[in-house]
Amino acid sequence: MTGFLQPYFEYGGEWWPLLAEAMLNTALLSVAGFFLSVVLGLALLLCQMSGSAVLRGFAALYVTTVRGVPLLAILFLLYFGLPGVGITFNAFTAAVLGLSLCFAAQVSELFRAGLKAIPKGQREAALAAGFTPAQCFTFVILPQVVRVILSPMIVTFVSLLKDSSLASLITVNELVLTGRAMATEYFLPLQIYIAVGLCYFMIGWPFSVLSRRLAAPAAR
Amino acid sequence: MPDFETFRLVLEGLVAGLGVTVLVALSSLAIGLALGFALSLVREFTRTRAAHFAIDAYVELLRNIPALTHLFILYFGLASLGLRLSSIAAAILGLGLIGAAVTCDIFRAGFRSLPKGQVEAGLAVGLTPRQTIISILAPQAMRIALPGLGNYAVQLVKDTSVVSAIAAPEIMFFARSMVTSSFQTTLIYATAAGLYLLLSLPLMQCVRVLEAHYGKLKG
Repeated sequence: MTGFLQPYFEYGGEWWPLLAEAMLNTALLSVAGFFLSVVLGLALLLCQMSGSAVLRGFAALYVTTVRGVPLLAILFLLYFGLPGVGITFNAFTAAVLGLSLCFAAQVSELFRAGLKAIPKGQREAALAAGFTPAQCFTFVILPQVVRVILSPMIVTFVSLLKDSSLASLITVNELVLTGRAMATEYFLPLQIYIAVGLCYFMIGWPFSVLSRRLAAPAAR
Repeated sequence: MPDFETFRLVLEGLVAGLGVTVLVALSSLAIGLALGFALSLVREFTRTRAAHFAIDAYVELLRNIPALTHLFILYFGLASLGLRLSSIAAAILGLGLIGAAVTCDIFRAGFRSLPKGQVEAGLAVGLTPRQTIISILAPQAMRIALPGLGNYAVQLVKDTSVVSAIAAPEIMFFARSMVTSSFQTTLIYATAAGLYLLLSLPLMQCVRVLEAHYGKLKG
């Protein structure tokens, strides 16, 4: 056991700065991806709720396709495939784009479920009390929707965080790619990949705990 | 624009990985379901603190760390200890162990949603606690868990693409190796995406049916 832990004492000082920088990149990638997912998810929701059959059809097709295709295929298409037709992204942009294209579908589904959970009377009451439809949405409906979907949104963020590891396969310098470089340099793959795993855990676990805390009162 | 003959060649090359994709998906599904169900039974129906803590820690560690990292630990990490797994074995084991953490939570939610009266009724008619669990609680919990398990299965099919990173020869692995020998990058990855879509569409349809069916039962 001490033999196994030995490298952490020996190289910990060298590893930590590398991993800390990679953690920052992973966090940046995940936050950017999540932010864009919410934006795209809301756009998708507008399509789903619009009066136009074309937009609704597009949204349904989009959600089905994205749910059925692995993120890795989407990332490879964006990063390696699109240059073939003259569109080039840098790796980080491609990763953010790929993650958010995938997770937008989940976000829009969450918002849809959240909207469904609000009783119709809320809207009617607000309108009867003299709110304009825009005010009604902003001050009455939206705060309630956010309360309902906050916990599943955090769960979605944690899955996005985990999936951001795939960006290493399109050369984004995040935790896993840094770990691979370190593993070849130090030749201690077991200790290094466990350290990488714990780095993800340090970012993701607090969010998982938070989401359960938030979900608990609703379940009661 | 690639012609039909190129497309046929690409498709043929990718289909070569279909067997391994299905093998990895089915085997890890079996491990995930069996182990996850066992864990959920221990977590819900025993009172050993240490076992509860161990299962909670297991679930948290597997659910908050990316599959790719787990696969690297199993494939590259264990090899450095002299424990060499083949890439397919590591893929099945890795996805199966992660799946167990996921299905454990799904099964537990199923057990928890059962009314208390079910246990009481089972014991009242003279069944032992074990019989009550096996023949009264478990079948109901599994039914409730079905839509969740279906969603897990859909996700699992897609997640098998990740095992290409440890060189398991499945669809995405063949796609990546074909790309290095030809310039049809867009065509190859788009075809691979289509192939995965073909695999997951029927599963997604099953989930939709299950959700509609069990949604009705609940409401």
